[in-house]
Amino acid sequence: MFITNNNDNLVKNTSHKVVLPFYLYAAISFLVATILLFFSSSAFTQHYFHPKTLAITHIMALGWGTMMILGASHQLVPVLIEGRLYSIKLAYSSFVLAAVGIPLLVYGFYFFNMGWAAQWGAILINAAILAYLSNLAFSMAKSKKENVHAVFVLTAALWLLLTTLVGLLQVCNFSDTILPNDSLHYLPLHAHMGMIGWFLLLVMGVGSRLIPMFLISKYSNTKLLWVIYALINGGLLTFIIFFLYFSKTSFYFIPVAAILFAIALFGYYCYSSFKQRIRRQVDEQMKISLLSVIMMLLPVILLFIIIGWLLVNTVNTQLVLVYGFVVFFGWITAMIFGMTFKTLPFIVWNKVYHLQAGLGKTPNPKDLFSSRIFNAMGIAYLLGFVLFIIGIYNADNFILKFATAFLVLAALLYNWNVIKILLHKSTKL
Amino acid sequence: MNVITNNNIKCTIALAALQNVVDPEIGLNIVDLGLIYQIDFDEANSKIYVAMTLTTQFCPMGESITGAVKRVLENTFTGMEVQLELTFNPPWSQEMISEEGRQFLNQ
Repeated sequence: MFITNNNDNLVKNTSHKVVLPFYLYAAISFLVATILLFFSSSAFTQHYFHPKTLAITHIMALGWGTMMILGASHQLVPVLIEGRLYSIKLAYSSFVLAAVGIPLLVYGFYFFNMGWAAQWGAILINAAILAYLSNLAFSMAKSKKENVHAVFVLTAALWLLLTTLVGLLQVCNFSDTILPNDSLHYLPLHAHMGMIGWFLLLVMGVGSRLIPMFLISKYSNTKLLWVIYALINGGLLTFIIFFLYFSKTSFYFIPVAAILFAIALFGYYCYSSFKQRIRRQVDEQMKISLLSVIMMLLPVILLFIIIGWLLVNTVNTQLVLVYGFVVFFGWITAMIFGMTFKTLPFIVWNKVYHLQAGLGKTPNPKDLFSSRIFNAMGIAYLLGFVLFIIGIYNADNFILKFATAFLVLAALLYNWNVIKILLHKSTKL
Repeated sequence: MNVITNNNIKCTIALAALQNVVDPEIGLNIVDLGLIYQIDFDEANSKIYVAMTLTTQFCPMGESITGAVKRVLENTFTGMEVQLELTFNPPWSQEMISEEGRQFLNQ
């Protein structure tokens, strides 16, 4: 009846030693970003191409969002591809390269020193992404099973590499003219390859596997996922072609509509998984993850408004700032809040208790962090998030400062819980 | 899903003991979750053969769960060595959850 295999090959997952540094780095980055935001809030009353705004955006996109996703994906890729991670050394390399590169790049932006600091930062980040992409591609090549989720993740990593390559060219373009236009011109290209190609595609690829898994849902629809994949990649490619070859603003409604449709279909996929779940109780972390799916819609709606505004006026810089803020401090941050407390306690629980499992009562992974602090973090974050948008739109530095105080508090509470989990020692119940 | 065995009495004892092994993510024990496929007893060689699965290959909790199965059975049947085979043929599906397990998840 049974086909047996080598057990170790089927259960050995990526070591916590590889994954945990990414989580810690991301947590510290989030705190640093909110502190920088507090001291630079007045930058958000000015144009979006402001050194301090660029520095905060990059620490959020790379130090917070990307580092967290890289860490979690080193743990989750074996589940997605049903095979082992190809190389631990490549995983460590991607961490070290990015960990050094990100502060250099952020320093370069913050003090607008586009010389060696920003250039070396960008080079190291590209090397980190190349290491990650190679690890992913070799892992997939070694795995016998290919599936739609893994293709989403690999394509997302390719878009990430393209994003960081364009970013490197933009940084170098400040010192030597290597692009036909100035660096600001390429900002929409760089930003949307990162936001849509990397973040959105990856979240959908991983989410479409994990959401039904965590809900114990019967729902599965591979065809729908392929349609979503085609819409996102098609939409993004169309945007790039329009951007490079046709500068007619109204054309941009086509790729944005494709992305909006893809998000709506992904929302339907998540809703169907939720409806057909066997597990009735949905924990707070899953609720936040599902909420972040709904939050994907907000930036796309804003994008429609920005394009509509462009048809009759010039660029509305406040709307663009709100758009960027909603992406990084809204959707991506909410998603990471859910993802952190859904995965990190299990990774640490496994590290501490894997030899004690079955020998007596051990704490539940959910007991490794304080739910009260988690809830307080959620309230501080929501207050800060909403107030900051009001502050940007009214160009009011007092509201912005007040809002960032809540965001700093949310980041402190987040770090408190993350450190509490990371420092957890074995306790017998 | 019924567990295949060559010794019904000892299998009942083994399954009762394995109810202490809980999937930490789901909060349900692995017997009601339907992860145990087969438990055979080889008295002559003092061995217990267990064939089981996980909810997914490369489950991050896999090592903890399989380790716990070995420890629980070796504590329950002192002097017996557990040989565990992990299989994904057939793969686990929601249909393998017992009625008690479904009631627990429906709470």
